[in-house]
Amino acid sequence: MRRNYLSNPTTLKIDLMLNGIRTGGGLYEESSEQSGRAGLGVDLVLPKGTLVNVPSGDDFTKNSPYILKEDKKGHYITDGEGTVRVEVVPRPAFYNEKTSTGVLFSEIATVHGSYAVITPSPNCEFFDKSVECKYCAGNFDVDGTDKRLFTVDEILETAEAILKDGTSRIIYLSIGFSKGDDGGVELLAPYIEAVKKHFNCLVAVESLPPKENKWIDEAYALGADSVLYNLEIFDSELFEVLCPGRAELIGRARYLEALKYAAKIFPGGTVASHLIVGLEPPGSTTQGIDALTDMGVVPILPIYRPQSGKALRIEPLTAEIIIPIYKHLYKAVKEKNITTKWVREISTVTTPIEGRLLTGEYKKGVLSIIDGFYSSKLGMKAAWGLSALRRKLRVKEVEGKSSKSPKKTSKD
Amino acid sequence: MGFEIDRRPLWLLLIIRGLRPLFFVGIAVVFWYILTMPLPEGLSEEGRSAIAIFAVCLILWVSNAIPLAITSLFAIVLVPLLGVISRDETYGLFGNEAVFFILGAFILAGAVMHSGLSSRIALAMMDRFGASPKRLILSIFLLSAMLSCFMSEHAVAAMLFPIVLDIAKSLKLSPGRSGYGKLLFLSLAWGCVIGGIATFLGGARVPLAVGILQETTGKTIGFFSYSLAVFPMVVIMLFVGYVVLTRSFKIDVDSVEEAHSVFRGRIHAMGKLVYKEYAVGVVLLLTVIAWATLGGRFGLASIAFTSVVVLFVLRLVRWKDIEEYVNWGIILLYGGAIILGTALEQSGAALWMAEMTIANWASSPWTVIALFAFFTMLFTEGISNAAVIAILLPVGIGLAGRFDIDPVIITYAIAVPAGLAFLLPLSTPANAIAISSNYLTVKDMVKVGIIMSTTGYIVFNLVARFYWPLIGMGY
Ligand code: SF4
Repeated sequence: MRRNYLSNPTTLKIDLMLNGIRTGGGLYEESSEQSGRAGLGVDLVLPKGTLVNVPSGDDFTKNSPYILKEDKKGHYITDGEGTVRVEVVPRPAFYNEKTSTGVLFSEIATVHGSYAVITPSPNCEFFDKSVECKYCAGNFDVDGTDKRLFTVDEILETAEAILKDGTSRIIYLSIGFSKGDDGGVELLAPYIEAVKKHFNCLVAVESLPPKENKWIDEAYALGADSVLYNLEIFDSELFEVLCPGRAELIGRARYLEALKYAAKIFPGGTVASHLIVGLEPPGSTTQGIDALTDMGVVPILPIYRPQSGKALRIEPLTAEIIIPIYKHLYKAVKEKNITTKWVREISTVTTPIEGRLLTGEYKKGVLSIIDGFYSSKLGMKAAWGLSALRRKLRVKEVEGKSSKSPKKTSKD
Repeated sequence: MGFEIDRRPLWLLLIIRGLRPLFFVGIAVVFWYILTMPLPEGLSEEGRSAIAIFAVCLILWVSNAIPLAITSLFAIVLVPLLGVISRDETYGLFGNEAVFFILGAFILAGAVMHSGLSSRIALAMMDRFGASPKRLILSIFLLSAMLSCFMSEHAVAAMLFPIVLDIAKSLKLSPGRSGYGKLLFLSLAWGCVIGGIATFLGGARVPLAVGILQETTGKTIGFFSYSLAVFPMVVIMLFVGYVVLTRSFKIDVDSVEEAHSVFRGRIHAMGKLVYKEYAVGVVLLLTVIAWATLGGRFGLASIAFTSVVVLFVLRLVRWKDIEEYVNWGIILLYGGAIILGTALEQSGAALWMAEMTIANWASSPWTVIALFAFFTMLFTEGISNAAVIAILLPVGIGLAGRFDIDPVIITYAIAVPAGLAFLLPLSTPANAIAISSNYLTVKDMVKVGIIMSTTGYIVFNLVARFYWPLIGMGY
């Protein structure tokens, strides 16, 4: 007997992400194109403004109890017993537009709600070495083939289109593995600098951890406001099995070390790491949440979307089993005073703040005013301003220590 | 330009940043207060304005809140603006011979370094004389001192630094722990400091002091006379320096054979001695001889520029190469310092300040000199030695008449101790360069530097008291 999740937007979001949705008829065709490169899925706004990207059209969604329907009043979801009104998020208009070089914006960027992911380099060298992550869906068209890098101008045009569209206000620059000690910072540097130079927006960097901490400093100094090193699997043995490249070429210990260091350099709540729910036992994910939050890192918990031929999911995986994980996540960030204003309104994951609805703590009073402020345009501007001020205070220009010309000095 | 992430609490950083504008407001208040205060007895209006400018420059030079050269620009702008000296005269002072001598010396030193001659001499001498650990220390020490007689001491430190670092690495000395590692870099820094006081060329501070002396009193000091006056001091300090060096830290290596492969490797990489090096060497040698023998007649700057022209005529150097070595900021710093010094002297402000301070504490010419030497050495540990001269020399010259001391003697009493900076990395670039090796810590430097500073002060006073009268510099 299935529980009724329709009444709570967070439980509904989790269950929808787990089971997907059937759309039926023309609606499916319409919605399947909504999410750009992110693949099949429908972006919906559930009650209380809860944004979700619901898998739709994948094999595993065929048995979903949820159906998306439309009547005169608009869209609604039904599980056969009850219904709930939802809004279908229209496909961003700029997806159909192209850069001046003729590339579709939807090939470069994907909107996920408050943030949009841009992948300047669609290559991950793990594929070349055949050590790619076992769950890697190639969602961002990432593979080992030597695809060309998007130019800085192409990325700038894309960022401009995203910001004009207005849904996303944080630009995520995301790359896969590249050899070198810098964790891709050198590759991303011109993009970060260019976006920062042209737009007053926040920039997050999603990459693999660099070998040395100085690159983390460098990323911050360049203008990154947030950084994500996605550990994905906390259990050390499963990590080695499912992420052979990460385990062999970076190592789990380095992930944790880099995250811990980054949490000291970046503002509170801006260093995050994904732990995929469904690829390891819930207890292990919970341990991961504790370990990350102890370091001041925000755990982000996407749910694994099974693909045909990649049945990696630990079964049974039901909402009953994973809802306690999200409850634990909310409690952990709250207890450890980790700010959650950065990780919010994301369609593809259940954010820590959404976990609040699982604990019975509903938005009210001062808290909801603050939350509302941070999700407003003004709030984002304030966040950008504070972030820029913090960087100005923290980053000190110094004469290069290995300066080759101590010939000139005015101290004589 | 690199960067560092400042991890101190944000509130502290905010306060520190917020203090900066407040600091400048504070300076403006001080400036305004002095300008508008009732005229004290014995001080003219111009004198009061000169003191107000002096106070601003003093605060800015000591705090290093803006580059030293830019502080000098303040003086250049404010002196004519407040009517202390006319505009024409102010900018005329900027063209003081000392400023141009410094420029010429920079260009010459740049040519020598660019030709590779100085590095070749350094390597050859270390290879030839540095057979044992102690002798290698002595070679570096004497070599730094000798080269600092001909070019700016910080240029020497910068030039020898990579060689000494290679020696330390080849001997596998542990940074921060090896006694011999500390000695290598101390000998480099001390050699530069001591050698730097030996001639006009070691640091531009002596020409600056002579420039101020010339503008305010019309007197001057010759290239050769200066070296003669400080010669015993240099010899004694070199001796004391070597004794302290070899006793202060344990020599924890038995042989320096590996270091010689470094020298030979570097010499080999330089190839054979070429025409350019010979020619630059000859030009430099002739220049030094001309400074010593004809300096009084033709002027030091003219001789320097003649040599510079010769270098270019003979195509021994290109302007592009030279630009790397010339610190244009220092030219502004020195020009401004001379202008400020002259303004203080001409307006009577220097004398007035001297009357209010040192004149009350000193009872005889000897104590005046001892006091000036003391304050100079104290200040020079924390402030640019050029700034120390700009601050103290006008006051000293102002006081000279009161105690019947030749202003030339006062100039020595400030210009020489201004070079004796042994204590801290910020005292002089040579110390800073040595510390940057990581083989030497600030604690090590202070520990043994205090012996050298104390000895330097005593030796200076003894030389001034007993030797100077013998060469006609009585007081
Ligand atoms: S790091 Fe792993 S998940 Fe990311 S692109 Fe490479 S293989 Fe895929």
